[in-house]
Amino acid sequence: MSTKLVHTPEGVRDIYGDEKAKKTVVEQLLHDRIASYGYRDIQTPTFEFFDVFSKEVGTTPSKELYKFFDKEGNTLVLRPDFTPSIARCAAKYYMDEDVPIRFCYQGNTFTNTSELQGKLKEVTQMGAELIGDDSVQADAEMIAMTIEALCHAGLADFQISIGNLAYFKGICAEAGLDEDTELKLRSYISGKNGFGAEELLTDAGVSRENRELLLKVSELSGTAAILKDARAAVSNGRSKKAVDRLEKVYEALCAYGVEKYVSFDLGMLSKYNYYTGIIFKGYTYGVGDAIVKGGRYDNLLKQFGKDAPAIGFMIVVDDLLAAMGRQRLEIPYDETVVKLYYTEKDFDEMLKEARQLRAAGKRAELLPKRTERKE
Amino acid sequence: MSENRYLTFALGKGRLASKTMELFEKIGITCEEMKDKDSRRLIFVNEELKLKFFLAKGPDVPTYVEYGAADIGVVGKDTILEENRRVYEVLDLGYGKCRMCVCGPKSAEELLKHHEMIRVASKYPRIAKDYFYNKKHQTVDIIKLNGSVELAPIVQLADVIVDIVETGSTLRENGLEVLEEICPLSARMIVNQVSMQMEPERIKRLITKLKENL
Repeated sequence: MSTKLVHTPEGVRDIYGDEKAKKTVVEQLLHDRIASYGYRDIQTPTFEFFDVFSKEVGTTPSKELYKFFDKEGNTLVLRPDFTPSIARCAAKYYMDEDVPIRFCYQGNTFTNTSELQGKLKEVTQMGAELIGDDSVQADAEMIAMTIEALCHAGLADFQISIGNLAYFKGICAEAGLDEDTELKLRSYISGKNGFGAEELLTDAGVSRENRELLLKVSELSGTAAILKDARAAVSNGRSKKAVDRLEKVYEALCAYGVEKYVSFDLGMLSKYNYYTGIIFKGYTYGVGDAIVKGGRYDNLLKQFGKDAPAIGFMIVVDDLLAAMGRQRLEIPYDETVVKLYYTEKDFDEMLKEARQLRAAGKRAELLPKRTERKE
Repeated sequence: MSENRYLTFALGKGRLASKTMELFEKIGITCEEMKDKDSRRLIFVNEELKLKFFLAKGPDVPTYVEYGAADIGVVGKDTILEENRRVYEVLDLGYGKCRMCVCGPKSAEELLKHHEMIRVASKYPRIAKDYFYNKKHQTVDIIKLNGSVELAPIVQLADVIVDIVETGSTLRENGLEVLEEICPLSARMIVNQVSMQMEPERIKRLITKLKENL
């Protein structure tokens, strides 16, 4: 064994044996459930032009992208997430479509995150996007489907936390914050860092009333009961509408019968800039970060030339598997292989048997006789 | 969610931990086992309240919390900034107050007024880099040291240092002074993102109680 050649670079790894078998099973289970809602598979390229993931689109920061050049000198990027690619596809191939389109995807994404923090740079994501439907029912379908897919995969103890960016944006607009301050504030509030936010707002000269309101946003999390507090706290129409929306989504989720997995967090603000309304994240024990991220992005398709609302989500399959492993959840997989040992003499016979087994849908492995003793 | 799940605390070793336990005692959270100084145990349990405590080296606390090995951590703001982990920073505990500063001999003051390249020694390379690159827009060469950072400007390893200043007496004794303040620091409570979502009531109750007793 050449010790130099067997290593993989930092942040990527091999998945093999039982682990890969489990991953395949979980992917299949997730996919079955998503497909049962009528979502159709789509495959986009692993790398795209840099502009698809540019700052205007509002995805991963440029320094966290893997970039390289083609022969013509174009900058290419390994996809950090799927949504912009899907949006590009929808704009390109479904330009004149005005009925909702449903996509489902699965593949690896790449982000060049910092070293030695134990995070993978290549992860498998599975997700779905619903384009051309801005209804409450579309929001609820996305969230309910996420919950059902996770349950179907075997996860039991998890929470989907739902927020609405419009609530926060409404207050920001009322307080007259500029974009820079708003972005900074977003990072403080999504980090639940109340006093950091307070300092920022005082420096920005925001009135006391609005300051208290903005600070309260990070505390507005919990069961559906907090929606009432959230509505009472604001006076601007946009934020009130945002609460209405959440209430309606909750009603629809109750109709699906999945409300026990749902909680609300109005202080949830995504690092992806393209989200515009409802956003949600799924949490479970065993991994430090959300295993599901999703939300509404009504302005993203416009960047690609098709003005259509959309909502989507993605599950980080590797994190889901890690969580299930740590929660000691059984992932059933069947890789029983019938082993057939042959000698030169009876090879034809054994081959016949193997072919019969394979034709019957069983797994059959042919092995030369001398290895039998080792088994 | 599950009521019989333990809530685990990671505390930064040393003065911070004892201060924190003092505060916890005020709100009725005690851990007798932990007071035994000779104990070699690593994890202390309060069975009644279903709480676990362990002591860790400061910079490791955010790591334990990020991965959910601990639900809650108490650690200095300096560590949070330096480690830059994905955790919720929920409470300023108010003690362990000090400042992150750029220090050096008086003569180095001039170097900070231009955008010239200077050498900066620090135990906190990330904080130093962030301050000089993003706030001061000055190109710097950062030298990571692991202790006695004050030595660096004296033996001319670096022009200035970025370090924590409490009273400033060590600086004065060595002919150094505070040249610029980067930010105030104090002990903070951090919470794992998942724990916050999975057990919001228990954690929020704790935060509210602590707030009342600060």
